[in-house]
Amino acid sequence: MASKYVSLQNLKFTLNRVHQAHEMSHYEYFKDYDEDAINMMIDAAKQFSDTYLFPFYEDMDRNEPELEDGVVKVHHSVKPLLEAMAEGGYIGAGAPAEYGGMQMPSALSVALGFIMSAANNGAMGFSGLTAGAANLILTFAKEEYKEKYIPNMFAGKWQGTMVLTEPQAGSSLSDITTTAKPIGDGKYRLTGQKIFISGGDYDAVENIIHLVLARVEGAPKGTKGISLFIVPKYRIEENGDFTFNDVTPAGIYHKLGQKGTPAMHLMFGENDDCEGYLVGEENKGLSYMFQLMNEARILVGLGGCAIASAAYYASLEYANERPQGRRLNDKDPDQPQTLIVNHPDVKRMLLLQKSIVEGGFSLVAECAKYWDYTRVLEGEEKEKYELLLEILTPVVKTYPSEMGIVSVSNGLQVLGGSGFCKDFPLENYYRDIRIYPLYEGTTGIQSMDLLGRKVTMKQGKAVKYLFAEVNKDIEAAKTYPELSKYVKILEEKLQVLQSVTMKLIGIAMKGNIELFLSDANLYMEFFGTIAVAWQWLKQATTAKQILLTENPQGEDLKFYESKIHTMKFFFAYEVPKTLGLAQRLMDDEVLTIATEREVAV
Amino acid sequence: MKILVCISHVPDTTTKIKFEGNGDTLDKSGVTFVINPYCEYGLSRAIGFREEGKNVSITALSVGGPEVEPTLRKALAIGADDAVRISAHPNDSALVARQIYNYVEGKEFSVIFTGKESIDFNGSMVPGMLAEYLGWSFVSFATHMEMTGEESAVLHREVDGGYEVVEARLPIVVSCQKGISEWRIPNMRGIMAARKKPLAVVSPSEEVADTLSTIKFDYPPAKEACTYIEPDNAARLVDELVSKGLI
Ligand SMILES: Cc1cc2nc3c(=O)[nH]c(=O)nc-3n(C[C@H](O)[C@H](O)[C@H](O)COP(=O)(O)OP(=O)(O)OC[C@H]3O[C@@H](n4cnc5c(N)ncnc54)[C@H](O)[C@@H]3O)c2cc1C
Repeated sequence: MASKYVSLQNLKFTLNRVHQAHEMSHYEYFKDYDEDAINMMIDAAKQFSDTYLFPFYEDMDRNEPELEDGVVKVHHSVKPLLEAMAEGGYIGAGAPAEYGGMQMPSALSVALGFIMSAANNGAMGFSGLTAGAANLILTFAKEEYKEKYIPNMFAGKWQGTMVLTEPQAGSSLSDITTTAKPIGDGKYRLTGQKIFISGGDYDAVENIIHLVLARVEGAPKGTKGISLFIVPKYRIEENGDFTFNDVTPAGIYHKLGQKGTPAMHLMFGENDDCEGYLVGEENKGLSYMFQLMNEARILVGLGGCAIASAAYYASLEYANERPQGRRLNDKDPDQPQTLIVNHPDVKRMLLLQKSIVEGGFSLVAECAKYWDYTRVLEGEEKEKYELLLEILTPVVKTYPSEMGIVSVSNGLQVLGGSGFCKDFPLENYYRDIRIYPLYEGTTGIQSMDLLGRKVTMKQGKAVKYLFAEVNKDIEAAKTYPELSKYVKILEEKLQVLQSVTMKLIGIAMKGNIELFLSDANLYMEFFGTIAVAWQWLKQATTAKQILLTENPQGEDLKFYESKIHTMKFFFAYEVPKTLGLAQRLMDDEVLTIATEREVAV
Repeated sequence: MKILVCISHVPDTTTKIKFEGNGDTLDKSGVTFVINPYCEYGLSRAIGFREEGKNVSITALSVGGPEVEPTLRKALAIGADDAVRISAHPNDSALVARQIYNYVEGKEFSVIFTGKESIDFNGSMVPGMLAEYLGWSFVSFATHMEMTGEESAVLHREVDGGYEVVEARLPIVVSCQKGISEWRIPNMRGIMAARKKPLAVVSPSEEVADTLSTIKFDYPPAKEACTYIEPDNAARLVDELVSKGLI
């Protein structure tokens, strides 16, 4: 198996130099997180991943969990992993110190998550879900529930889940029918079934704490009648004893990838004995859940570029070892074969991968920093970062997911036939990454969220803030003549994006929302490419500044030069694709809206 | 009980080694430096004593410039109580041993752990020299260590084909080998705590002078290309081996 799955140098560069993550330490809440702390934690997370995650990646895929006699047995590495995660302080890292957390800035936690997900993305699902669920309880639930559930969740003994999807309610959560009947004392009795619940049941933890969306009897229809409940698999009695809470596994899904994490079909209250405890107020459940989902969406984007990172290093290693054919200008059969890395087409595939991995991660880090600002700022400044986060969340979920697949696919292609075989990890990465554009809201849903809600919210205020951020970085890039060509391209593309947006909003204003959103997916692709081009220009500006002022040598020199080269590649090979997208988005011909005279489908 | 753990600051084992200048200096660009893995066994064993309920204080020490401080911080994150950097260039083993000796004198340490060797220069000399300067017991290549009282310890040493059990009087210098403990990964809380633990910088003692200087490093000869011989051509195999003087 390939040995390298991540570049710590790139993570430290992106965090410390491009995004100046250590600036967060100027705020009291994050005061301990200066550059030294950041670097040490990155190194420690790598060591952790080398020990508890990477060695089990292949085996977890080959030995997927099964549901036998009502019990889901997961891979033997999961229990020690969760214990070590807890001991290492990873599960509660982002939570406030008063609840046993470490108040870690998200900008750092995404870097640690990147390393761990690149090492073994499926295994990271367990602790990620627990951290998210615990965070929801900490933010919205009663003190009593925090005390009851959080310590064991952070200790890795109890698993947290997010329980939304039902057979008839996937993308459309307004159609949820699981019901909750009040039985007094803030308690409810739940009945219903849920599908695809990750970590929904398994044997390596003592209890499972489900955060369930359900409808209180008599609640209004649609999204305004959905409430959020804590539903443990085992109720915890006054004396600490466990009582089974009537949550039963009805089935386990056999998936294409991420096989180590069980996705469960669960029945709630088959024997009318399933208690749930209301989080916050009735009918506000979906807005609470969206807090978790917004975080989760950033983490999905993170996972996408992390898998693509592992795939990139595996294919790079192969390309540097595999001799095949000769350079096109030197076809002498007496000469030894050249390494495939020397073929321009292979180099193109590797550069494409690198540009997606490192550009995608830079966008994730940018969003994580905004997220941190929303936690320490107040008033208008806080609103600014909230809006920036709002507009970029669907993009940061989607670009690394969709383009991560392209990236891994190119990685697989680099290995030729070997890429398709189980002797190499590429086929595994390819299967694992395929889920990312699906869960946490499909690309279709994210795209409509971007164009239909985020771009227009508060009279376009979020877009204005975003353009201001991009323009700030464009100004910084203008310092260096070598970057002027790319500055100009980005400025032009921003203008085209504006024209396309205005044209589409024009359609919305005429009231035809279906037409307005019919090509939202293409709009997302355009937006995402520009967002990553922005991140590449930002990285290249930082690299240029370091090259001119710090005189790096040897491998360091190569690293910074490669940053500028990869930026050029992205602008030359990826950014021009927006031309075609813009052309389609500006075209009035309607081909995908259902009509009576259906032609194609 | 006071324990000193000597920490060598070395390139990560996965580093591709390159030299610069006239081939006398390591090209450090892009190289990650770590705690020498054998020293880390010593650190881990010292922490083990604390976990067994012994009242120990653990000092991590390294001879080197400011670049070794992150490595010492890591030792603090793993569990050392304080750290000392002797600000001298660790050019040769005699100098390092002498600097450590000067620091240790009069400080009442009972145990000094070192690695069996450092993975960069593989000298394996500092612990023996240090024990000699101090006039202490010395056990090399230790794979196991238990205290048998305030004044003595039982250790296992790796020897060819097995191990030797020895009893030794404290104070003692122990050079550590795989088996004496398991490495530990610093946890997040440990890293935070490490930032508040003391790291003292000590000036080198004047009288110590370098005894060696490096003229040049060189790579091992490149591996020759593989020669494939058809399975039914034993004669050619014999010819090849004869021509290389191997048979
Ligand atoms: C491995 C795995 C793990 C999962 N984990 C969890 C979990 O832990 N908790 C949980 O609650 N759920 C989980 N899910 C469920 C997941 O979130 C849903 O599968 C997802 O939201 C899509 O819903 P669906 O499968 O019902 O597809 P559908 O909603 O039926 O969508 C099918 C297609 O139609 C499109 N579509 C749907 N509605 C619209 C629309 N209005 N406009 C345009 N296009 C539309 C979609 O984009 C998609 O392409 C998981 C799923 C999987 C596969």
